[in-house]
Amino acid sequence: MFSYLVSGLSVSSEVALPGLIALEAGDSQSADVTIRAGAVPRVLDDAETDGPNWQIAPNRFLFEIPDVIRMLLTGGREILFEPETGTSPEEAAIFLSGTGFGILLHQRGRIVLHASAVRVRDSAILFCGPSGAGKSTLAAALVDAGYDLVTDDFCGVSIHADGVPWVEPDGRQLKLWQNSIDRLSLIERRAAPVRPELQKYYVEPRAATAAALPLAAIYVLREARPPHAPGIERPNIVDGGLMIRNNAYRPGMVRRMGQADLYFRAAAAIAQRAGIFTLSRELDFKRFPEVIGWLEAHWRDLGLMEPTT
Amino acid sequence: MKRIIWLASYPKSGNTWFRMLVANLRQDKPADINDLPEREGICSARGRFDDIMLFPSGLLTHEECDRLRPRVYEAIAREAGDEAEENETRIGDVRFVKTHDAWTYTSDGQPLLGGSKGADGAILIVRDPRDIAPSLAHHGRQSIDQSIDFMNDTDAHFCGQRDRQPKQLRQLMPRWDGHIASWLDQTDIPIHLVRYEDMQADTAGVLRRALAFAGIRVTLDEAVQATRFADFGELRKQEAERGFREAVTEQRGSGFFRRGISGSWLDELSSAQVARIEGHHAAMMARLGYDTVIAPDERIAS
Repeated sequence: MFSYLVSGLSVSSEVALPGLIALEAGDSQSADVTIRAGAVPRVLDDAETDGPNWQIAPNRFLFEIPDVIRMLLTGGREILFEPETGTSPEEAAIFLSGTGFGILLHQRGRIVLHASAVRVRDSAILFCGPSGAGKSTLAAALVDAGYDLVTDDFCGVSIHADGVPWVEPDGRQLKLWQNSIDRLSLIERRAAPVRPELQKYYVEPRAATAAALPLAAIYVLREARPPHAPGIERPNIVDGGLMIRNNAYRPGMVRRMGQADLYFRAAAAIAQRAGIFTLSRELDFKRFPEVIGWLEAHWRDLGLMEPTT
Repeated sequence: MKRIIWLASYPKSGNTWFRMLVANLRQDKPADINDLPEREGICSARGRFDDIMLFPSGLLTHEECDRLRPRVYEAIAREAGDEAEENETRIGDVRFVKTHDAWTYTSDGQPLLGGSKGADGAILIVRDPRDIAPSLAHHGRQSIDQSIDFMNDTDAHFCGQRDRQPKQLRQLMPRWDGHIASWLDQTDIPIHLVRYEDMQADTAGVLRRALAFAGIRVTLDEAVQATRFADFGELRKQEAERGFREAVTEQRGSGFFRRGISGSWLDELSSAQVARIEGHHAAMMARLGYDTVIAPDERIAS
């Protein structure tokens, strides 16, 4: 068995999950989440709602990546998986640790955002957006500029009793496409492909953090296209709240599991204790120094960094 | 009961103009070109796939995505229409969804776009390929000859890169004539053909007939007003003032809405370029009623 820490949860897994924070192998009975191989049913008899490749029944979520893997998630505590013929354990890993675990966090009623995060002093800064918005690439550029990686792709947020939102790091490797690896000169940090067929790779970050951090700011990434001018803006509180819900790891899960209220309340807490901003920029590698400059100026304005002398 | 109608076209054939016309129906002033409800509504949008399948399409190869796309469109069509609506142009109970995909079949033999389970019909917008070539060159910042090559390439596609995550799912465009034929010759869903040139000659009339195909009745006055609000000059004016979000980056400054006229190829193409296009696509041009200037026996081999 392998043991990991993911979003603050201890995980016991029968397969190695690259990029997670590894723990000393512990007692699988006491783990918060277990991941194991076994026979996964093709349908749930008591499904209440379904989609093209998934079904939700009380306490259970059946999920299929056709021709790759099937998973049954139970109670936010167990992922049972059955690879389809030809799927290796290495290939199963990306679907278990990414999509599978992200959905499991939804099942646990956790706030989980589609975001990458870096550490600025003693705070976490999140970058949200749908696939292709440039979250991982911006995080990689910031890690290269001296900020530790906190998480990549999804990010669990816990609202503590005092109302402060905290981010539980995953210490994940970055996952970057070859084009980004080339443009950011990260070839020496490139590890295995996330799938043998894809030119997308695990990339070792220069530094990552394993400690939970208070959330200081969320930036929703947008391409600078009309009507969005380049720069950082603060949306009004209603739009900011909608942005949090729309940037849930799987907005469809929020809808299907009736968690809209949960996200609105989290958004209110986040808006009160941290900032929600939009970051609109051209999708161009040459612009990274400029964009990092905007962010650092903004962090100084927010008091997260010392002012320049 | 909601109906889905594909707005299908080879790129640069007038799809955006048609969407602007629909968006301007029953409005009291010209719709903002950057605030159209369907701006994410192209059917190859990655986000819709990810949201419906609940896993990221970016973890699949293009071929694996293609095998699953029919399920996505079937699921969208089945949805009672809750959140699906906000991203699409709607008139009454009809949703129009733009696509540049050819009508292809997956390796399992399923229509990529879900066949009759994905939509109720399609409005296919076509345009003289001699006018498409310079427009496509402008769109992609490439030479007209490169556009002509693209339009003659059976493996042509948009968003098919493998070393990065393209913003949209891969769209196959197997030659200009192959793309049109794929839609005209499929028998899965009914189709209504619109020629760009006819839209220019009688915008309101063509619009009304196309909408009638989709099951929407509009009065001549309504169609005339939409035509005025989506007039090419109005679209260009708005783009000059505020930019157009759907323009590709390379078009900033030079404009998405370029000339919008028919027959501009007469002063934009060399006779050799005209001969190449006509040589490649003569049969489909004839089928669509586009006269060729070069007699068949004078044509160079394609």
